[in-house]
Amino acid sequence: MTPAPMLDVDTLVIRYRAGLFAARPKPAVNGASFRLERGETLGIVGESGSGKTSLLRAILRLLPVESGAIRLGQDWLALKGEALRKARQKIGVVSQNPFLSLSPRLTIEEILAEPMLAAGQRQGAAMREKIATLLSDCGLPADFLARRARELSGGQAQRVAIARALALEPGLLILDEPTSALDVSVQAQILNLLSDLKESRGLSMLFVTHNLKVVAHISDTLLVMRRGDVVEFGRTEDVIRAPAEAYTRELLSFGRKAATV
Amino acid sequence: MPLLDVRDLSVSIPTPDGDVHAVRSVSLEIERGEIHGVIGESGCGKTMTGMAALGLAPKGARITAERFHFDGEDLRENAARLRGRRIGLISQAPAAALNPVLSIARQLDDVIRAHRDMPRQARRAEALSLLAATGLPDPERVLKSYPHQLSGGMQQRVVIAQALATGADFLIADEPTTALDVSVGAQVLALLRKLVAERGLTVLMITHDMDVIAEACDRATVLYAGRSVETGPVAAVLQSPGHPYTRALLAALPDAAPHGARLAAIEGSIPPPRSAITGCAFAPRCPQAMAVCSAEPPPERRRDAHRWLCHLPEDAA
Repeated sequence: MTPAPMLDVDTLVIRYRAGLFAARPKPAVNGASFRLERGETLGIVGESGSGKTSLLRAILRLLPVESGAIRLGQDWLALKGEALRKARQKIGVVSQNPFLSLSPRLTIEEILAEPMLAAGQRQGAAMREKIATLLSDCGLPADFLARRARELSGGQAQRVAIARALALEPGLLILDEPTSALDVSVQAQILNLLSDLKESRGLSMLFVTHNLKVVAHISDTLLVMRRGDVVEFGRTEDVIRAPAEAYTRELLSFGRKAATV
Repeated sequence: MPLLDVRDLSVSIPTPDGDVHAVRSVSLEIERGEIHGVIGESGCGKTMTGMAALGLAPKGARITAERFHFDGEDLRENAARLRGRRIGLISQAPAAALNPVLSIARQLDDVIRAHRDMPRQARRAEALSLLAATGLPDPERVLKSYPHQLSGGMQQRVVIAQALATGADFLIADEPTTALDVSVGAQVLALLRKLVAERGLTVLMITHDMDVIAEACDRATVLYAGRSVETGPVAAVLQSPGHPYTRALLAALPDAAPHGARLAAIEGSIPPPRSAITGCAFAPRCPQAMAVCSAEPPPERRRDAHRWLCHLPEDAA
């Protein structure tokens, strides 16, 4: 028997209600089904309005779900209150713009301590050691602890954001356009770092982006969304080699040819 | 004679902590009717080069050049006059370029009225034909809309229509597709190509995206640390890059490596904009650097129309 997947989403429907008497709009996510195996990366590609952000927000339980099921070790949609708060600590989140997601007022050390303090861990030597390890695991020198986010480059700040997402040792990392604001050479460093972390910590990742070439490189499986529908889901090699949808082919054909995937 | 002829342009901004060298030495020759890509990473001076050509460099900036000419006129004196008459700007964020509280009809009419002496009805007809030329379906409806009622791609088409309304024949497009979805961006690039072919426009395309260069440009110039380090036809620059920086940039792209393999990230970082550079600016990060590289400025290497600055001989590239 195969081990249980990290995340199992079954015919998930998310719909924003316009108003009490308004006509029911088309769902933002229209019956999405997919699974993410443990230790793998699932890439989610789609344009604005495709429903990828709604999907992420539903997995983070920030949005109500109309129907369908999410299993994340347990019946994820049944969790409430304190139990949900505790369970959600096992998901780390990294967003697109580190300068918006990192407080400008705190030092890097304070930023990395924050999730641990919020989870009730005590300040002290053990925490300081953990912070130092997080920093070095994410490829940053120890003297960054006293700095603030504005003193860092975009790539360094994104490393801090990744370190913070790992502070509570999550099993699942959700990355929402983590390299879209970065230069190509820095993007390569961050993608390498994510591969290293996936390897060393056995992380599972949900990697959301509009850049199919980035996600095709890093992900094991690929989910392509368009206007709320899942138009493609499969092993990355299969989707890239034989895209079933014209839309996927269009995304793949943009720009330089000779993609060696 | 190239339409835009730039030779050894530098733009320095004095600050209390010393001069910021935003552009150190950029040379560009842009021929009429081409789309010329300027590619580089943040801080390499590509936007400042465009701003200098528009006469929009920051106050107090020192602009020096051996030549800085647009159609024979010196841009150091005439940039402000040429801007909006012959040189137009298409910026990254169309939503920021449009006024949110005025209808498209009003905003487009303002531009047409400022540049051409036409009666009201003729201006309206002109506005409709400009919107149609940018491929917007239902120009009548767009004219009545406000910016927030349009998608990003539609907004960018309106901005392009505005640039055309001035009668400009040279457009500086600064990351025109970065804020758009890939498929919408591809449509905007196709539109620019069509306008270049139909109206004889010339475009300076500023981008950080090699795919945009491949998709839309005829020739490209690579900028590093405020210097143009390589220039040539797009096929030559992308397929047989001469400068080690261009090679490193292409190798760092996620589709350059086999699936899941480590990417060739470029070690180190760009030189700080206040520092002085002797020799090749890329030498500290270059895997093929020799002793001479950080001591002396690199000579020009050439393969037909493809030129780059490097101490390594041509056949090493």
